[in-house]
Amino acid sequence: MGTISLEHSDRLYWLGRYTERVFTTLKTLQKLYDRTIDNRSGYAEYLGYFGLSDSYGSNRDFFRSFLYDSKNPNSVAYSLERAYDNGIVLREEISTETLSFLQLAKDTLAKSEMSENTRLSLLPLVDQLYAFWGCIADNVYDEEKKNIIYCGKTVERLDLYMRTGYPYKSVKKEFGRLCKRLKNVPENTPFCCNSQYFGEIEDIVGSAEKYSSESSTALVDLEHLFEPMGAAV
Amino acid sequence: MTQLMQEQCTKAVGNADEINELLRRYGVKFGIYKNGVFNEQFFPFDPIPRVISAEDFKSIEKGLVQRVNALNEFLFDIYHEKKIVRDGIIPEDFIYISKGYLAQCEGITPKNKVYSHISGIDLVQAKDGEWYILEDNLRIPSGASYPLIARELTRIAAPQAFRENDIVDNRNYAKLLKETMENANCGGIRAILTPGRYNAAYFEHSYLAEHTGSVLVQNDELFVEDNILYHRTYSGGKTRIGVLYRRIADEYLDPLNFLPESLIGIPNLMEVYRSGNVGIINAPGNGVADDKGIYYFVPKMIKYYLDEEPILHNAPTYLPFYEDDMKYVLDNLEKLVIKDVAEAGGYGVVFGNDLTKEKLEEFRRTIIAEPRRFIAQEVIDFLDLPILDNGETVMRKADLRAFVLTGEITKVWASGLTRFSRNPDSFVVNSSQGGGFKDTWVLSR
Repeated sequence: MGTISLEHSDRLYWLGRYTERVFTTLKTLQKLYDRTIDNRSGYAEYLGYFGLSDSYGSNRDFFRSFLYDSKNPNSVAYSLERAYDNGIVLREEISTETLSFLQLAKDTLAKSEMSENTRLSLLPLVDQLYAFWGCIADNVYDEEKKNIIYCGKTVERLDLYMRTGYPYKSVKKEFGRLCKRLKNVPENTPFCCNSQYFGEIEDIVGSAEKYSSESSTALVDLEHLFEPMGAAV
Repeated sequence: MTQLMQEQCTKAVGNADEINELLRRYGVKFGIYKNGVFNEQFFPFDPIPRVISAEDFKSIEKGLVQRVNALNEFLFDIYHEKKIVRDGIIPEDFIYISKGYLAQCEGITPKNKVYSHISGIDLVQAKDGEWYILEDNLRIPSGASYPLIARELTRIAAPQAFRENDIVDNRNYAKLLKETMENANCGGIRAILTPGRYNAAYFEHSYLAEHTGSVLVQNDELFVEDNILYHRTYSGGKTRIGVLYRRIADEYLDPLNFLPESLIGIPNLMEVYRSGNVGIINAPGNGVADDKGIYYFVPKMIKYYLDEEPILHNAPTYLPFYEDDMKYVLDNLEKLVIKDVAEAGGYGVVFGNDLTKEKLEEFRRTIIAEPRRFIAQEVIDFLDLPILDNGETVMRKADLRAFVLTGEITKVWASGLTRFSRNPDSFVVNSSQGGGFKDTWVLSR
C-alpha cells in the first residue's frame, strides 16, 4: 500500500540482517567444521573474531553452542529466532509463504540437534534460506520495502565478511552491492547513510592495501553507517 | 447431512498429520495467557469437516441476514431515537445498564448506516436438526482466518475430498472483507489496528491484512491532525486512513473518550469518526446489541424493525429480571445453564447440574440479589460431531461461528469456524479453554 511506518522499516531492516546472519554464520561454521575433521584448525580463531574467550571444552561443545544454543547471541538458533520475531510482525508485507520458510528453518534446526550427522542434517536449512530469499524477491512488490530488507542483508554480510576475515575480493564485491542498495534509499528516511562514515568505508575498501591494514576501522564505520549526520565523531 | 455423506467426507480428507504439519508451517497459531505468561500455541485442527447441506445453509443464510439486519437497525435506533424503548419492546434498564452501551456514541451515524460490518453469530445444531442461535458477537468477532487457511491447506493435502464432494469455495472471505471495508471507507487507505504481536488473535490480524491488502498498524503509528486520521510514515510523512478495522475493544480505542489509562488507543479518534472522516469497523458501541441480556430480545427486534417472523430461533432463554422467569429459573436451576452477561470467551458459564446442593442455593441467592446480571438457558442437547483423537474417531460437542458481512448488502460467508471441545464431558468449545477447530463445508447442491 506504499506506506511504511518507522517500526516496520526497522523490522524489515533487521529481518534482512538476522536472516543473513543465520546464513553466513552457518556457512562459516560449515567451513570451520570441515577443517576440524582432519584437525587442520580449531575454533579458537573463530572466537577471536568476536572477541570471545574459550569456555568450550571441545569442538563438539563449541559447535553445539554456536548452532543450537538460543542463549548464545552469536548462535544460529539465536539469530533465527530474532529473524522469525521480525518476520512474524511483517506477514502482510512479506507474505505467509515467505514467513513459512523461517518456520521450516526453525524446525530443521531443531531436528538437526537430534541428528548424528550435523552437516548433513543442516543442508535443508540452507535450501530453506535460499527459498526465503526467493520468496522475498517474488512476493514483496514494493521496491522500497524490498530495498530496506536487502540493505539489512548486505550490511550484515559485509559486517561478517570483514569480521571473520573473508578475502578482500568478497568484501569489495559486497560493498559494491551495498552502494547500489543505498542509492535507492529515499531521502529523509532512517536508511539514508551518513556520508562521513560511508566515505571512510569507501576509501578503505577501495584499496586492497588499505583494507588489509584498516579493516577494523571500516567495521566500526559500518556500525555507524545509518547514524544521522552530525552524530559522527 | 446424511451419515453416509459424513463418512465419505471423513474418508476423503485422509491424513490429519499432513494438514496439521502444513498449518504449523504456515504459523496458524493463537496466543494464550496463563498465569500472566504469554504462550503461543498451534490451534488444534481436526480434519473431519462439519458439513452443511445446501438446503440447510439456505435457511441459515436467510435467518442470519435477517438477524444481522435487525441488529443493525437496533443499533441505529438505540443511538438515535430509541423507539424500541419508547414503544416498550425492550425495558430501558437493559440498554443503559449494559456495559456495551456507550453514551459517547449517541447521535453518531456511521457511513451507510452500518454498525455491525462483521458479525460473528454462534449457532448450534440440536439432535433434531434444528439450528439455534447461542450468541451474537458484534464487536470484534474473530476466527474467520482459521477455516480460511485450513481450506487452502486441505485442498493441497487432500484434493480428492474436493473432487468427490460439491463444496462451495470459501476462499472469498478476504474479498468479502475488502468490499465491506471499502463500503465503510471515508477516503484513504484501509488499515487493520492490532494491539500487537502478543494479542491472542495476532495471526488473524496479520493474515487478514495480508489477504485484504490492508496496512497492519499499531496505535503509535497513527495520529489525528485536523480531524483526520493518519498513518505516520518512516520518512516523516503521513498517509490518510479511510477505514480502520480495529481489533481492540471499545474502551481502549480513544483515551480521551474512553479509558484514559489506555496505552493502545488513538487520542481523538472518536472525533474523527463522529465527523465522518474515518470508518471504524465494527462501530464503537455495538456491545449494547450483543449483550447476553439483549440476546433475549433479538426475536422481538426482528418483528419490530422488519415486521417478519424470526427464521432462526434463540436457545430457550429466561431473564430473571422478569418475575415469571425468575420463578422458573429458581425452580429449575439444576437443569439450566446460567451465563453471566458481563463475561465472554466461555467464562462465566455455569451448568446447574454441575453444582452441589449448597452451591445451587448460593447461586439462587446471587441471582435474586443481581437479577440483571444473569440469563438462564435450557441446555440444548446439541449434535456431537466426529473428531479424530489419536487416530480414533470420537464424538465431541461443537458449535459454529458464522460470519456475516454487511457492506452494501448483508452476505453470509459460505463457511464458518466450527469449534469443538476436546474434553468429552464439556460443552465449552472456546480456543482459550483448550478447544480445537474444524473447517465448515457448505455443499453446493
